[in-house]
Amino acid sequence: MKRRAGEWRGWAALVGALALVVVGAVLAEPAWAQAAAPAGREYGDFPVVGGRVAVWVSAQLHLMFAAFVLGVPMFAVVAEAIGMFGGEKRYDKLAKEFTRLLLIAYSATAIWGAILSFALVIIYPRFWTHMVEIFEVSVWIYVGLFFLESFTLYLYYYGWDRWSAGTSKYVHWGLGILLNVFGTAVMFIADSWLSYMMSPAEGVTVDTPASAIDTWVAITNATWMPINIHRILANVVFGGAIVGAYAAYRFLTARTDEERAHYDWMGYVGNSIAIGALIVLPFAGYYLGREIYEYNQQMGITMMGGFMSWLWIIQAFLIGVLFLAGNYYLWVGMQRIPGAERFTPYTKWMLLVLVIGVIVWATPHTMIASRAELAAMGGSHHPFLGVLGVMSAKNTAVNLMILTTFLSFLLYRRANKDPVVPWARTGTMVQGLMFLVASIVVLFYGIYGYYVPAVQRIGFSVYQVLAVLITIVVVVAIDVAMGRGAQSRGAIRWGQMPPRSQYALFVLAVTFTWLMGLMGFARSGIRQHWHIWEVMRDTSEWAATPALGYAAQVITACVLIFLGLIGFIFWLGGLVEKPIIADVRADAKAAAYGGPDLDPVPAE
Amino acid sequence: MLMTNLKILAVVLGTVTLYTVLASAIPQVESEVPQELDLGADVSTEELVAAGEELYQGAGGCVACHGLGTRAPNLLADEAGTGQIGARCGTREPGKDCKTYLHEALVQPMEYIVEGYEPIMPDMSRTLSPTQIWAMVAYLESLGGTATVTAADIGGGEGGAAGAEGPAGAGGGAPPAGGGALAAGSTDPMDIWRAGGCGACHQLDGEGGPIGPALDDIGATRDRDYIRRAILDPGADIAEGYEQVGGVMPPTFGGSLTAAQLEALVDMLAGEG
Repeated sequence: MKRRAGEWRGWAALVGALALVVVGAVLAEPAWAQAAAPAGREYGDFPVVGGRVAVWVSAQLHLMFAAFVLGVPMFAVVAEAIGMFGGEKRYDKLAKEFTRLLLIAYSATAIWGAILSFALVIIYPRFWTHMVEIFEVSVWIYVGLFFLESFTLYLYYYGWDRWSAGTSKYVHWGLGILLNVFGTAVMFIADSWLSYMMSPAEGVTVDTPASAIDTWVAITNATWMPINIHRILANVVFGGAIVGAYAAYRFLTARTDEERAHYDWMGYVGNSIAIGALIVLPFAGYYLGREIYEYNQQMGITMMGGFMSWLWIIQAFLIGVLFLAGNYYLWVGMQRIPGAERFTPYTKWMLLVLVIGVIVWATPHTMIASRAELAAMGGSHHPFLGVLGVMSAKNTAVNLMILTTFLSFLLYRRANKDPVVPWARTGTMVQGLMFLVASIVVLFYGIYGYYVPAVQRIGFSVYQVLAVLITIVVVVAIDVAMGRGAQSRGAIRWGQMPPRSQYALFVLAVTFTWLMGLMGFARSGIRQHWHIWEVMRDTSEWAATPALGYAAQVITACVLIFLGLIGFIFWLGGLVEKPIIADVRADAKAAAYGGPDLDPVPAE
Repeated sequence: MLMTNLKILAVVLGTVTLYTVLASAIPQVESEVPQELDLGADVSTEELVAAGEELYQGAGGCVACHGLGTRAPNLLADEAGTGQIGARCGTREPGKDCKTYLHEALVQPMEYIVEGYEPIMPDMSRTLSPTQIWAMVAYLESLGGTATVTAADIGGGEGGAAGAEGPAGAGGGAPPAGGGALAAGSTDPMDIWRAGGCGACHQLDGEGGPIGPALDDIGATRDRDYIRRAILDPGADIAEGYEQVGGVMPPTFGGSLTAAQLEALVDMLAGEG
């Protein structure tokens, strides 16, 4: 039964892949593409919602599935490595379970990719023709890599049990690494297409024929690498969050303690991955933003201070929800860790820092305003919020929120441990000192920033970020060394988690998904009425970039479709999971879930 | 099981509803598309001012910087005691009246960056038509001053050459398919260069696109006959290394340049190097 179901999924994925390949191969032929864009027909249409929404939804859904199938292999390979080199079989099982989810979602990614291709060629034929003329070669490479990625994935998953020991296990792990390499390469190629739309090379204008644009120059455009880096991290965050939600659902519907324990642990791992990668994601975001400004100041200003200025207030609110929900999950989780009660009094203070941080971050400042609104405010900025909402305050708030979240992780790790190394007290003091110094540095530059010109103030954020990053690295290093041979106060009682904690994982997954849609709108919307920035003007009836309220409705529709589909896909996967769960149960009885991946204390 | 599923559904729907409501509750700003202006030959100054204000507040995107007074000089209100833009524009550049200064500042902004501000202003001729730019000038003049732009400044209208005081060929673009002289018949080779869109592909004096051969030192390696032939029949000799873009340069300049313009352009290029 298991094998038959696996074959069915494999065939579904293959059909989806073939559909994409056929579409890609046929449409990559300029003669065909020209035929699809007869003279006088620049735009097609789509019933009810219109052409733009049809392309928007298909692109966003393709991206959501793609982010999941690119993010999950990264931590699947890491989990497999922990299982291999750490000798804990349950990590190997976890990696296999991750990959099973990946396999099922893979066909959906390909199907939405094919839908997007059809939508583009039918609705935006002029744009499609232009892109094909420039990127024809890269489309073929994409097709080839997609094939390689697909079959590497099949080998990786279906060969899991066959290549499970000795040298063949290393070969299997190598396949996982290869899967990531192919997947990342596929993403890099697709990123080159969309980043070219944002930042075509200098000198390319509306009068430049597509045939005269060098493919490599078009690929290596100004925002290509920043988007690549940002997406790699964001994919990990997204994958972790979706896996967390999956585990939460399985936890809530579990029928046995073993199952509940397994999915409690899996949810914790998913949440750790998502929040851990989220902590560094803003730095990649700053890099991307800086490159956008470097490329074109007008585009940067449109993004941050133009018609999109209110978008960042919504973004701040969403990220605030992520920090609060992520920390809440950890704090609730500490209730099942013996010894964690000694840290409980600190929780309210951490909550206070987070809430204040969210409020400061979400304070409006440089908002686009009409003459009437300027007159009502009595100036270009609000008399009160104008002082509070500047970047000095916001950077300070964000960095303190990151430090607080890191502290939550640290307390979680330390909850059931008593270090036995002779320098434990000194180590703890150094850790505390690092937190104190980092907080002082962040606060100092936050306040000092009010007294210096804007150009100098921007540079201060680098010092704040460095202080936080150095603290995270050094404190973790000390903690790992200090945890060796630590005395345990008792094993984590996996599975004894109140249901409300699992709903926090759902909030995280929904918020990450919605945030992804919002950022997709921001990245695409800053081109305004250009298909390709200052190269190809959007002359369709949908050329005006909509306001955030309308965008929010489309984003919500995308999120609900995605969650509905991924829920259905996971339900399908659940039909054949019993043998895996049976394996996990057996292991669970043996290992009793001694701790998460961040917890080196062996099980009792 | 059913209750669990309903609770999960409620959490999901509640979360997305909260975000949707929040995003709909904030001020709704749409990015408009600059619309073509068809003001007619007898357009009044008042109509130009009104059109300019609409552009300034909307599709022109001006308020993102000039409305705040932090990224760029405040044009709507007083700037460092010099008044609104209409009151100070006539004294910004010696020898330039308000109208000329504003027009040039819109299409050649890098030449007129106000001290203390970053050079972030885009060339507005890339997003606005000549008529729209004149409407913008009229509106800015009217802020604390008197608008003086008239229909005569706009000249031939939307598709025509720029007005009398504006730089020729501000709208750029490809050469006409045939008939009619480029740059309103000007024999200034740089006017012809700009109006013909040569800089989109060729580099001259360090500026221009990378698609065709750079012409910085063309005079040192090619004679006048070669240059003339290359302009009139671009496919006759494709420069080495540019075979793949052969055919990109339009073979229509023989119909769009006057003889005097062609020779002026050849003279200029032959002198390069």
